[in-house]
Amino acid sequence: MVDQKKLVEVAKETLARKDVKYIIGYKKGSYGFQTSAAFAYTPKDVEQFIFTPLCNKNLAKYPLKEEKLPLKRGEEEDKRKIGIVVKGCDSRAITQIIQENGMNREEVVLLGIPCPGVINQKEIEKRFPNQSEITEINEINDEYVFTIEGKEHKIPKQELLAEVCKTCDYPNPVLYDVMIGEEVEVNPKEEYEGIKELEEASLEDRWEYWEEQFQSCIRCYACREACPLCYCSTCMADLLEPQWIRRSVNLSENTAWNIMRAFHLAGRCINCGACENACPMDIPLMELNKKLGKEVKEMFEYTPGLDIDAKPLLGSFNPDDPEEFIK
Amino acid sequence: MEDFEPNIIGFLCNWCSYAGADLAGTSRIQYSHNVKVIRVMCSGRVNPMFVINALQQGADGVLIGGCHPGDCHYQHGNYLARRRISVMKKLLEFMGINPERVKMTWVSAAEGRKFADVVDEVTAEIKKLGPNTKIRRKNEW
Repeated sequence: MVDQKKLVEVAKETLARKDVKYIIGYKKGSYGFQTSAAFAYTPKDVEQFIFTPLCNKNLAKYPLKEEKLPLKRGEEEDKRKIGIVVKGCDSRAITQIIQENGMNREEVVLLGIPCPGVINQKEIEKRFPNQSEITEINEINDEYVFTIEGKEHKIPKQELLAEVCKTCDYPNPVLYDVMIGEEVEVNPKEEYEGIKELEEASLEDRWEYWEEQFQSCIRCYACREACPLCYCSTCMADLLEPQWIRRSVNLSENTAWNIMRAFHLAGRCINCGACENACPMDIPLMELNKKLGKEVKEMFEYTPGLDIDAKPLLGSFNPDDPEEFIK
Repeated sequence: MEDFEPNIIGFLCNWCSYAGADLAGTSRIQYSHNVKVIRVMCSGRVNPMFVINALQQGADGVLIGGCHPGDCHYQHGNYLARRRISVMKKLLEFMGINPERVKMTWVSAAEGRKFADVVDEVTAEIKKLGPNTKIRRKNEW
């Protein structure tokens, strides 16, 4: 587990730097098993920083979504950096954003946290519904320990661990300025187990499965808002001219939206699971992302979010790319 | 199913495939009439969402035509298109939409005969697949 005191200490040190504007981290949520993003401008704000197995949000998007008001006359742009507390997947998201020129490396200070894996929010809320009091969870010897109404619960880690964390290859930040704590061990895992069954099913069965999933989509676009890599200032889905996707909620449009979302993350998705976590209708969106990640790795030997100097997959090419499908 | 005539949308690049289709016409080559051609400046112009929108709006298949690798008028538009469409086909396949509905071809401006052959072949294959019902938009008013 990450030492909370060390986290606060390092964050305070970073905030004391003259070129740092504020630091984004995690704080206790307002109820239940939630945590929320904290924006620390003063050393006092930093005191509330935590890192627990409940910190499953991806903070990489916040610096991009910062509102930049027009400058007054004579006013100078605030070019100070933004500090962010990053897990392995968050740091990959930031690497990917930098690679696409979404932001500059100089704009951010990364406080890396080696991540032992986070909790599947939906699973724990399913097991303990109606839990409104703030609950703290600690990880002790591969068990999550927490107290609800005076009763202590001990649940094995594997039962509550988020699906994406079970197959995570990069729990340690790939890009960071300060590392907090020791790097965790990476165990080579069998990848993409969740999609194997679907891959072996017939075309019709697969469509039946997705038809049912997409039928329930309410097009709230929570997946887009949660995704650290969906940061376009105007999303194609919101355009009216041309209108790529109609506003009506039906199977055809829902499928088109989900195809578009998955396709736009091909070769970019860093498997943080934020979309699936945010989906109110429990659509297994990560299956699409993982499948595309796998195909991209097989076809182009490309893994997103590892190198800030690499070229984006779909913006570059290799003359020897596979083309057996072309007549 | 015998008399099913598929609707195929062809996105043909201005410099090669469209000129190839033109040559097929001026050479009076007979070929299937199922491909409705939309001229684009380059196969790299074809946003994969064009393909999805075509399938939504009633197309049974989509044919994308570009210049041969290395011959692109814009240096490498066709290479980029190739990557995009290959990823899109994998996604469609995983979703259970037959990826064979999306076809891609390299036809140069001199290959009128090849264009006619490709269109015939694609039409025959899509005829076999039958009408596309999966993500088709239903006009319910």
